[in-house]
Amino acid sequence: MGMIAVTILIPAFGALVLALLDNDGLAPRVVALVASLAAFAAAIALLVNFDTSDPSLQLTEQVAWIPAIGASISLAVDGVSLALILLTTFLTPLIIIASWDTITDRVRGYLAAFLLLEAAVLGVFSATDLLLFYVFFEFSLVPMYLIIGIWGGAARKAAAVKFFLYTLLGGLLMLVGILYLYGQTGSFAYADVLALNLTGTEQAWLLTAFLIAFAVKVPLFPVHTWLPDAHTEAPTGGSVFLAGVLLKLGTFGLLRYALPYFPEATRDFAPWLLAISVVGILYGAIVALMQADIKRLIAYSSVSHMGFVVLGTFALTSTATSASVVQMVNHGLSTGALFLLVGFLYERRHTRQIAAFGGLARRVPVMAGLWLVVSLSSLALPGLNGFVGEFPILLGTFQVNRTAGVLAAFGAVLAALYLLWAYQRMFHGPLEGADNENTSDLKAREVGVLVPLVVVIVAIGLYPKPLYDLVEPSVDRVLVEVGVEVDSDDVEPTTTEEDDA
Amino acid sequence: MTMSLLAPLLGVTGAPTVTIPDIEWSAIAPELPPTAIALILLLLAIARRRPYVVALPTALVGLALGSWLVTEDQIVAGAVTIALGVIVPAAVFAFPTRQSLQQAFIAASSLIAALVLTGWQYAGVLAPDLERIVAQEALGGAVANDGIALFTRLTVYVSALLVLPIGYGYLQERRINRAEVESLLLLAVVGMAALGSANDLITLFVALEILSLALYVLTGMARRDRRSQEASLKYFILGAVASAILLYGMALTYVATGSLAIPSIGRVVGLGTTPELVAALGLGLVTVGVGFKIALAPFHLWTPDVYQGAPTSITAFMAAATKAAGFAAVLRLYLVAFPSLETLWVPILAVLAAVTMLYGAFAALVQHDVKRILAYSSITHAGYATIGVVANSNAGLSSTLWYLLTYAVGTIGAFGCVIALERRRRGEVTLLDLRGLGRSSPALAGILSLSLLSLAGIPGTAGFVGKLLVFQAGVASGLTWLVVIGVLSSVVAAFFYLRIAGTMFLEEPDLARGLPVVTTGLSAGVSVAATLVLYLGVYPQQFLQIAESAAALVR
Repeated sequence: MGMIAVTILIPAFGALVLALLDNDGLAPRVVALVASLAAFAAAIALLVNFDTSDPSLQLTEQVAWIPAIGASISLAVDGVSLALILLTTFLTPLIIIASWDTITDRVRGYLAAFLLLEAAVLGVFSATDLLLFYVFFEFSLVPMYLIIGIWGGAARKAAAVKFFLYTLLGGLLMLVGILYLYGQTGSFAYADVLALNLTGTEQAWLLTAFLIAFAVKVPLFPVHTWLPDAHTEAPTGGSVFLAGVLLKLGTFGLLRYALPYFPEATRDFAPWLLAISVVGILYGAIVALMQADIKRLIAYSSVSHMGFVVLGTFALTSTATSASVVQMVNHGLSTGALFLLVGFLYERRHTRQIAAFGGLARRVPVMAGLWLVVSLSSLALPGLNGFVGEFPILLGTFQVNRTAGVLAAFGAVLAALYLLWAYQRMFHGPLEGADNENTSDLKAREVGVLVPLVVVIVAIGLYPKPLYDLVEPSVDRVLVEVGVEVDSDDVEPTTTEEDDA
Repeated sequence: MTMSLLAPLLGVTGAPTVTIPDIEWSAIAPELPPTAIALILLLLAIARRRPYVVALPTALVGLALGSWLVTEDQIVAGAVTIALGVIVPAAVFAFPTRQSLQQAFIAASSLIAALVLTGWQYAGVLAPDLERIVAQEALGGAVANDGIALFTRLTVYVSALLVLPIGYGYLQERRINRAEVESLLLLAVVGMAALGSANDLITLFVALEILSLALYVLTGMARRDRRSQEASLKYFILGAVASAILLYGMALTYVATGSLAIPSIGRVVGLGTTPELVAALGLGLVTVGVGFKIALAPFHLWTPDVYQGAPTSITAFMAAATKAAGFAAVLRLYLVAFPSLETLWVPILAVLAAVTMLYGAFAALVQHDVKRILAYSSITHAGYATIGVVANSNAGLSSTLWYLLTYAVGTIGAFGCVIALERRRRGEVTLLDLRGLGRSSPALAGILSLSLLSLAGIPGTAGFVGKLLVFQAGVASGLTWLVVIGVLSSVVAAFFYLRIAGTMFLEEPDLARGLPVVTTGLSAGVSVAATLVLYLGVYPQQFLQIAESAAALVR
């Protein structure tokens, strides 16, 4: 069994152990934490063994699965998937610590759902077999449905069902596309499908099918409407995982499958997707500005920020597309941290209405300080991680499509407005009311959850080079597949025939 | 000799010297134990106080016949016969006072015997190299021994074997465990298996009537329950009409082709010399007739009422096994008898499949009774399975056979859990009864959810692999539009499956409604069903390979 399989199986095994335990006390929490930390260690080991100079899919491992239909369990990682695997395994232990004593109902189920979810997501990032990818992609719905539906807020049932059905519909349409591709090749292997020569019409239809699946997941305007509900109703850990990791399944899928599989259609569709992304960026930002509920505000900010990621992806330049991968990681860190903070605040006050808060900075200085840092990171202040992702995206987009670049930049401005305005209303101004007076500051455990996030936020902000070095060769490989000139010299143009096809 | 016969069973290659029995009954060997046991069970019921009057002669006949078979080098068949000869008196003397337990035990043994013989037949006769299936005709062409027959046997016997223990306590409690239940069930099973191998129209019709008549009675088994009576009558009247229509269609087909044997009908129709109108009319009427049996819209109207009214274990059996048998007949009729009329039936059947998928899914949305929801879900699934038929290809054939197996295990798991709930309520099970089941009995709720996820086609379960294959066959045959409709209906269907699962896990229990009644038989049955759902979903290779090779037909 290879290293990637081990990384996926550790959390799955942890979930199995949880199922065998018979109490909801300390033991399941420790088991879950140990399993998630072990998965993180395994991901670090993957990073150590990863050759960043090699743009191809590495550490390949393959086991027969269903030879009758040409599906195998084949796993491999490139820089993009490794970055996201690291993000996933980094966030999961933090989520488990964050919900250490806030989840008291059916603890084993909660933790097992998270570990299964982690395993499924790691599978999505490392599968190099379309069927296996699809199985993991769809399976991830089940634990997330349960997390929102069982441990969520008042309107959790509707939100969970909405989340499930939206994503299922998108996924099933993609399945039809996958089956079409399978019909052409007789194999689900990533490379076999990549070698296909599809006509322009086929590409356009297939890209549409894949786009619907991934756009729902990202989520892109106008199929984003499940997200605010899911985020608002999900428990804190669920929100963090949803924003931090699950949304990336969409953008990751675009980069791994949609772009290189359908290069011609990608180039044709790119201007439209830039337009949709810009609409999403501005729409998400404006709606975020209007929100009275802080969790909904952050949910809409996710729509806006993920719009940046898609914008960078479809700008199809080395700079912008690499930056969009970096931005996936950044968004996972800073929005994840924001959801954690909202969760901590909610546990103290049992309300998320911005109007209910005021002048809190005097009572909860630590929380206010961390909130400010994370907000600044989210709004892309230079020196923090948001900037090193968002700025190159805008730069790259500007070179390709000036209008889109300029309009998207307004999204960055609006981000500053809604995040800082919310911060100001909640933490500054007069300290009124007994509730605000009695709000207690973060406990050591909560600070301990946030500090690693803030450290990474600052580290990426100050020195993003290692992250870029990790993802750029892989992104350039994808762009070469799409048929875009890449000015970097470490990529050999292997496929260029798409241009004349 | 022993070794060479067992070699294929053990997977030893290089020893292909298998004696294909020169006696033709090998083609219907798996059906013989259930048939014999059905009769013996009836005799036992008649003998009542003196069971040994029946049991001892049975033992003697079984031992004698078995020994003779062994001397004839039919080791497996002989061993099975001897085993049954021992089990019948053993069961009678082991549970002298509990007649229904005797009956259930003996019936289950005969089903296991049938499964063993199916495996023996597969390894020894059908696919000596365990790779390809070699289709054969037997009994003068009346039955075919091929992939459809094999897979139908598998699905039907497994379904019946799961339903027996699941329904045992339930039937007992409702006092509908009369002596004829097991006999009728076995007769229905035999009819279904025979339908799978029926190779001429007469055999097909007789098999269909055997299973239908047994099911009409089983449906009305709850004599004091008016809904059961209503369901039985409705099923009987509509079923009789459908049978008549089917028979008329067969007659017209005979007029057009001058043959009753399905392969030769196919050859004659292929020549293009048949009067087109008569053949088309025959095809149309046959479509109506079999459409009724597999509950394709718009011939599905009986399904919700019958499924709701029938005793639930019978419903589970009907949903899983009747569908498999009905589709076996559909596959053989369309792919062997009428492949050359494909321009005629493919579009019609495709539209019917589309309507069925959408109608079943949307109609289920507004239901509150869980049995009714599952009834509408069974209609939807008939639509999915039809995609494989319409694909009109080897892949389509395999996918439909495979789909029916995955559907059978999922639906039996679901109905089994409903039985546990029904037993505490002594009435219908609505969504309200499921509230908070995830908290009060997590294992049952887990198995029910797993079955529902399988029916919804979520990856990791058997249902996903089933949908994957039929959708794939559809796409490969250029029916992408139909597959997209299938996808849309899957999403709608996922909504009501989720609603059931959500009611169990996302809501608080209502303890006033009491706990579900779970007996050993029921928990064993649903656990095996759940295990099969997971096994076929995660590692489908073995059975999938059989399904792939099942595309060998007697043509």
